[in-house]
Amino acid sequence: MAQKRPAEARSDKLFYYALIPFASTAFLIILLTLFVLTAKGLPALEFYGLKVLTSTRWLPNEFDPEKAVYGLLPAIAGTLVTAIIAVVIALPLSLSLTVLVEELAPSRVRDILSSLVDVMAGMPTIVYGVWGIGFLAPILAPIYSGLQSTLGSLPLFSCEPTGGFSILTAGLLLAIMIIPFIFAVVKEAYRAIPATYREAALSLGMTRYEYTRLLMGMIKPAIIAGVLLGFGRAASETVAVALVVGNAFNLPLCIIGPGITVSSLIANQFGEANLYPLMQNVLYLGGLVLLVLGLASNFLGILMLTRVRVRV
Amino acid sequence: MYKRRIMKDRLFTLAVSVLGLLALAPLFHIIYTVTVRGVPAILEAGPSFFTEPPAPPGSERLGGIAPALLGSFWLALISTMLGIPLAFLVGLFLYEFKESRLARLVRVFTMSLLEIPTILVGMLVYTIVVIPLGGFSVAAGAIALAIVMLPYVATYVERALDSVPATYREAALGLGLSRARTSLIIAGIARRGVLAGFLIGFAKAIGETAPLLFTVGSARNSLNPSPFEPGDAVPLLVFQFIATPYENWIKLAWGAAFVLTVTVLTVFIALRVVVREVRL
Repeated sequence: MAQKRPAEARSDKLFYYALIPFASTAFLIILLTLFVLTAKGLPALEFYGLKVLTSTRWLPNEFDPEKAVYGLLPAIAGTLVTAIIAVVIALPLSLSLTVLVEELAPSRVRDILSSLVDVMAGMPTIVYGVWGIGFLAPILAPIYSGLQSTLGSLPLFSCEPTGGFSILTAGLLLAIMIIPFIFAVVKEAYRAIPATYREAALSLGMTRYEYTRLLMGMIKPAIIAGVLLGFGRAASETVAVALVVGNAFNLPLCIIGPGITVSSLIANQFGEANLYPLMQNVLYLGGLVLLVLGLASNFLGILMLTRVRVRV
Repeated sequence: MYKRRIMKDRLFTLAVSVLGLLALAPLFHIIYTVTVRGVPAILEAGPSFFTEPPAPPGSERLGGIAPALLGSFWLALISTMLGIPLAFLVGLFLYEFKESRLARLVRVFTMSLLEIPTILVGMLVYTIVVIPLGGFSVAAGAIALAIVMLPYVATYVERALDSVPATYREAALGLGLSRARTSLIIAGIARRGVLAGFLIGFAKAIGETAPLLFTVGSARNSLNPSPFEPGDAVPLLVFQFIATPYENWIKLAWGAAFVLTVTVLTVFIALRVVVREVRL
């Protein structure tokens, strides 16, 4: 028997090496995406200089790239602002949902609520988009008009609303879409808190409010991770945003007016961009910005999650 | 002092319940809206909704979404055939060699793939598949969808395998089975969880829009069954029709959105049935 072991070990090694090509696909896809976006995006940066990232205008020219102006700033700023609005709205809702599911709901209701959140996460984003265009934007339109006539002196509400299609509408829709993702991250960490802490807190006579606050404080890194991962999600969402954001090349200074995001810019323009010299390259560059943003928020999020495991 | 604490607690409970339910409320309203606008559109179109291509824009007739349905069928079939075996092997690797440094790296990259905007996957496939092959095709769309589903299915499979008690693994290894054999036995025990992962992948293949924008080609009038020709997909049709000024196309988009919602909800109910019995 003792002689047979090396052979077995060899077959295990073989199994390990046989799986490596498949296991590395995710790495290869990310590398390839990074390579393609860089290789295709850099010519735009070389030709137009940093202006392509800082200009706010978008004036394509079919014949002469010299005469065209491509500025990604409104789109990049739009992506950041819509994602920040989304996270700010989604965070209190997700935390409340966590407490509701984990602490308040009876166990049978808890199962139902959990599977409803799963359905929310799995619903195709285009369905959120048609709801945004068919319901959310129309009901927000009169509210925006009201905001403009009463608070119009503030820059945030100073612009003419166009039928409810705006940066704020996109942020709201994104907030709804990322709730299940923030919830999932926070819930998992909340559940992982050892029962002894809970018991100790309750034995001290703490009210539910007091000990929930205590437990939430313990998983602060997980909450930050949820925020980062939710931000990444919101920044990368495409079709739902493209339907409600208004697609106008404005800086997102006034949130009740139309704006644009990087992903909605790509969705709208990439298909015909090959008709304009260098426009496709500018869009690849925008994609690169989006990729770096997504990878950075994901990396920081994972880093935060490893800190939870150490602390709790 | 005591009273104030109780008051605070009551207020907190109330606020959390209201906000928590508010977080879930949009889901119901979305399903309601898609139903009340989608069902009348399908009824107006009649059976031709499922058998005809869309009518010309602005026409009195609606026509149907047959090419999109056919395209979505092919996309789901081909992308799951490509993506699910691949994702299963990745999940198997993550489970079986979880203590190795490489597996930890693979996990980070697989999780990162989740955060890559799906529209960039569309751009990637456009650049490395569509352009070299000289045109849009259903196959290119399926490759993009397979990439999108990979991290979802892989992490789900890994979790399913991980949920099998270690004693089974130890017993199999103790009998002298190789690790390859052992992990397949574990996969057999966790088959319902693994199947649930496959269903998640299927749901992604049905519902994703952005990866298809620059890959399948919106060939909306052809019922061409070849995967190497341009095709259409239900979510793509919804995206491109809902924002048009043509009333008949908008109605088709609502009808298609309803079909999509029902399909995805059905997958989720199936998932629920499958997973409920997996608890070991």
